[in-house]
Amino acid sequence: MISVTDDTGPRLDHMRKFANQSRQVLLEMIYHANSGHVGSSLSCVDILSVLKFDQMNWSGSVPRTESDVFVLSKGHAVPAWYAALIVSGELEADHTKTLRTIDSQLQGHPDRRRCDLVDVSTGALGQGLSISLGRAQAKRLKGQDCYVYCVAGDGETQEGQVWEALMYAGVREVANLILFVDYNRSQNDGAVDEILPLHPLVEKFAAFRWHVQEIDGHAHAEIRDAIINAKRNASQPSVIIARTRKGHLGEDRVVLNGSHGGTLSADEFRQAIDYLRAAA
Amino acid sequence: MRATRDWFEDALVDVAGEHDRVVVVNCDLASATKTAKFKKTFPERFFECGIAEANAIGVAAGLAQEGYRPFVASFGHFLTGKYLEIFQSVGLNDSGVVLVGTHAGLAIGKDGPTQMGLRDLALMRTLPNMRILHPADGIETRQMLSFVAGQDQPTYLRLCRQAQREVHRPNYRFVFGQPDVVHHGRDVAVFTMGGMVEVLLDTLPELAGTGIDPTIVNVSSLPLDRDALADVLGAHRHVWVVEDHFIKGGIADELARLVLELDQDVHFGVWGVPDYGQAGSPDDLYARYQLDPIGVAGRLRKFLRRQPSIEVKS
Repeated sequence: MISVTDDTGPRLDHMRKFANQSRQVLLEMIYHANSGHVGSSLSCVDILSVLKFDQMNWSGSVPRTESDVFVLSKGHAVPAWYAALIVSGELEADHTKTLRTIDSQLQGHPDRRRCDLVDVSTGALGQGLSISLGRAQAKRLKGQDCYVYCVAGDGETQEGQVWEALMYAGVREVANLILFVDYNRSQNDGAVDEILPLHPLVEKFAAFRWHVQEIDGHAHAEIRDAIINAKRNASQPSVIIARTRKGHLGEDRVVLNGSHGGTLSADEFRQAIDYLRAAA
Repeated sequence: MRATRDWFEDALVDVAGEHDRVVVVNCDLASATKTAKFKKTFPERFFECGIAEANAIGVAAGLAQEGYRPFVASFGHFLTGKYLEIFQSVGLNDSGVVLVGTHAGLAIGKDGPTQMGLRDLALMRTLPNMRILHPADGIETRQMLSFVAGQDQPTYLRLCRQAQREVHRPNYRFVFGQPDVVHHGRDVAVFTMGGMVEVLLDTLPELAGTGIDPTIVNVSSLPLDRDALADVLGAHRHVWVVEDHFIKGGIADELARLVLELDQDVHFGVWGVPDYGQAGSPDDLYARYQLDPIGVAGRLRKFLRRQPSIEVKS
């Protein structure tokens, strides 16, 4: 397991390093599989890095019935989670070449029956938040001081079930639930603003009695501080709307022009890896 | 005479007293689905989700993943209508949720087809790890609840609205997957489940008058144990299935596949609801769809008249 120091500066340096490594691993996985969601995985890497390497009380060796729980409701971005597990050493590096192959633990969408480092199976959108709620309420019923972290896509909030869950969580004051919306503004058929705009998302969440924060979803310090703030609110569930970019490699680089689909050509893959190595 | 949902109400509270991990997830139908007594007895273990079945299924899945045994209750039609949510959050997650689907079949009557559980079995049968249970009376309901509370497998518990009598003796023991022979006959093996078991038993006097003595088998749990089914089938050349469900996708399909796989040389017939159903009093509906004792006896005679080895008196 990787340990980080308590000092803020080095911790952030570590997270930057882990996020960079995760990006390289997930790109390699998807490139090798020649199938997978590059842009969606890259947009949530920084969120997952802060959760996995800093804020979550989560270990592959501890049953999640006794610790924090991680739910990737936008299951198509699961290479980002697999990559974090490989970077952390909880998953062996040779799994990199098994993504989306037959009998692999690393299914195209997370499958807890095949991989015990996956807490919840997802894939069809809109269901992860409801399961997160059930797990969070179970934690409270058991008297556990644990959090459930759920990462959903922005387009995913177009699913009706999400709003059933939002209504329920707010009214029931499920404060040990922290939801990230990976607001990368892009969905399968194009820009979210063109397909079905979400605005005003902050006001909508607030109306459903959620504690709402809006942050830069690629700024590790902002992500960390938002989680700490969310935990301080003991009477509301928290949503962190993380403004991200699909295909984000770094401040000055995105891949695949921020689109939802598509895989990298050999040249694009090499250039992306070179960019990340130079930035490491 | 009570409905299986009423027997369920008492049995649920009983098993919840024995198992702390039993919780209820409700969808604004506590009075109809008979979870209200549980709510009153164990309020801290009762989760009201309102009229939002998809979320309720997910919440139940999450509770199950943390070690609880949630019963999520609604009309069977509403609950199983959330197929994609059940497929993924319960099935693919292998979440130990008990989906309690009440108001099976035509018995909801005047509310009509938008509330009738006529396709629930078809949907739940497609999930490889889903156990399906449908009790025929109070004795079986109580035993099923005890069985289910001690298990962790995804389960669909189908319950009826109509009043039924006890068809089992008090010493009956429910065994999952075992066909339950409630009447030993000779001419034809008739398979059914739930509220139809009593209807079949009520046809016996009339059928006896036309020289027919059917074996009546209660298929109260799926998937069926193949060997046990073979034992029942072995004594019969004619198999007939009748169910208070759409005629496709229910226990008839389950049995037909097993009969073929077992290479049984039998004549096979089916009766059930052939359309979407409609509004009407339960008595009128069961009569119209020939699922009351007179209708079922008539349908069975019609099937047997086509069989050269069986003599059916006029």
